[in-house]
Amino acid sequence: MKLALYFTFPYPNRESFIRFFHGSLNHKYDYLELGIPTEFPYYDGPIIRKTHKSAGENYSENLLRETVKEAISKKRKVYTLVYYNHFKKDRKDFLQNLKSMGFSGAIVPDLLTDFFPERFELVDAMNEEGLSLIPFFTSSTPDKIIRDVTGRTDDWIYHGLQPSTGIRVPVSTDLMVNRIRSLCPEREIIFGFGINGPEIIHELKASGADGIAVGSSLIPSMETDDMDSFHREIHMLEEGVYGE
Amino acid sequence: MYKIADEEIIPRRWYNIVPDLPEPLSPPRDHDPEKSSIDLLNKILPKEILRQEFTSSRYEDIPDEVIEQYLQIGRPTPLVRAVNLERILGFRGKIFFKNEGATATGSHKINTALPQAYYARKEGVEEVVTETGAGQWGTATALAATLNNIRSTIFMVRVSYEQKPLRKKIIKLYGGNTYASPSNLTEYGRKVLAKDPGHPGTLGIAISEAVQYALEKGYKYMMGSVENTVITHQSIIGQETRRQLEFMGESADTLIGCVGGGSNFSGFSFPFVESETEMIATAASEVPKFSKGDYKYDLIDTAGIMPELKMFSLGSDFVPPSIYAGGLRYHGAAPALSLLIREGRIKTEEVTEEKSMEAMGIFARTQGIVPAPESSHAIATVIDYCKNPENQGKTVVFNLSGHGLLDLSIIRD
Repeated sequence: MKLALYFTFPYPNRESFIRFFHGSLNHKYDYLELGIPTEFPYYDGPIIRKTHKSAGENYSENLLRETVKEAISKKRKVYTLVYYNHFKKDRKDFLQNLKSMGFSGAIVPDLLTDFFPERFELVDAMNEEGLSLIPFFTSSTPDKIIRDVTGRTDDWIYHGLQPSTGIRVPVSTDLMVNRIRSLCPEREIIFGFGINGPEIIHELKASGADGIAVGSSLIPSMETDDMDSFHREIHMLEEGVYGE
Repeated sequence: MYKIADEEIIPRRWYNIVPDLPEPLSPPRDHDPEKSSIDLLNKILPKEILRQEFTSSRYEDIPDEVIEQYLQIGRPTPLVRAVNLERILGFRGKIFFKNEGATATGSHKINTALPQAYYARKEGVEEVVTETGAGQWGTATALAATLNNIRSTIFMVRVSYEQKPLRKKIIKLYGGNTYASPSNLTEYGRKVLAKDPGHPGTLGIAISEAVQYALEKGYKYMMGSVENTVITHQSIIGQETRRQLEFMGESADTLIGCVGGGSNFSGFSFPFVESETEMIATAASEVPKFSKGDYKYDLIDTAGIMPELKMFSLGSDFVPPSIYAGGLRYHGAAPALSLLIREGRIKTEEVTEEKSMEAMGIFARTQGIVPAPESSHAIATVIDYCKNPENQGKTVVFNLSGHGLLDLSIIRD
């Protein structure tokens, strides 16, 4: 199983972000997801939404470049989570910039719902720059769309377990994993949204998920500048993901 | 000719259209960026209902107890060929109607009230709360709650509360409590009344009051339309219709139904979505959500307590005229239905109250059934459709979402 850690960049501010990011590098994880702050991250839950404001105020492209470079040097693949609404207007420059910084690809949560007709145009534009579009699917993504988008992309798949980040409504984990697995049997599928605690990690592992992505559950310790609690949280994730 | 056993017609699973939509359904969205209204659903909905709302499954098993209750309240409902209507229209095709008015409560609303009350009871809930416009949903909720040994409180849009005293009586007879909305029972109701003591009420306000009341009292909220779970439960209409047509050796060229929040039309038509059957959704001209509404994220309730949904909407603050078809006064339409309309898979019509009244009379005089004012809008579309020379020879099936026997005060002496 794989672990992806998500940080809204640079929450809560540049200095603290660097400390927490360096702290995270002491742990084992596979993918680093850096959320680019945007004005209205409407598909995120209230916890992540809150991080976008202060991250936006502290945003620094140079620091982002350095962060990506450092993560790569520590053998992490780095992806961005960014709303299409945020970069649609200057797409080419934005994608070229991502590539030059070393990003492997992007998760674009609003692409299939708000910009559906442009989905393959973006895939092509990203391919042109050597970037992967990580398909973002949820329980509301129709079967045909999952097949079509999977057929046009080749990196891993991000599947939202919950309707938005950081919240928990009852879901049939088994059913969800089996469904997406049957639609794209050959692909690595990482589950995110609302994953917080060993129980759900265990459930996903038992259901055959390839990995988990976690973001919201790291925010409280970053918000209160509690490095010990931050380490404990990631340690719990490591145990759940890589442990027996 | 043999009688088909009811058990052969009633499906054992509800159909959820979401995995078969041509585009992903936009997820519910928080109205207030500081709060999670999606998380709030955990507090007001039974867990199983919430699970069904966000499921990726194409089918959901119907519990045996719900099947038994469906049989008790008159399911499967009849699919009848309207021969007399065909004759009077001179239509050289076939018209069938699915008579949802034949259920115990007189409309399709019981199809989702029963499972929602069943799941609430299974979770140990003592009371359910909801809103009602025309009164059909309130009636269904009251009966479903009583059949599941739980209490019900219903906020009824004031204009309907005053226009339809018989509805209140039936709800009372079934064991439910009704209050005119806006009311003094909730903070939101008091706020509306403070601005306008004579406010006629809207479904959006009544939903806000019901949700607020459920939250305050720790009760569960019952959803009458719009939400995906409701549409899934209502798929029993379309699935039965398909089987009945198959047994008759018929197939539908065109499906027609009326749209308020969209549950009867969606439940009737969605099981046919993969076929080439033409589908026409009829709204009220006085509530022109399809011709004048926007396809956008909007509030379900006026107070903004519930998550926003992407749908055709006239705006949650839209105050519709006091047309008699209270069930068609809602400002929006179910997201999956809205998406299929935007995609052109489902066509739309809008019918005036006057025209729907004419259709009500024609149908009563030909088929002997008094249709609900809402269903009369669908009948008006059927009549127009069948008068069009291009449609001769077709098989038209429409959903008679309810009877109008409790709406007779609309008929002028």
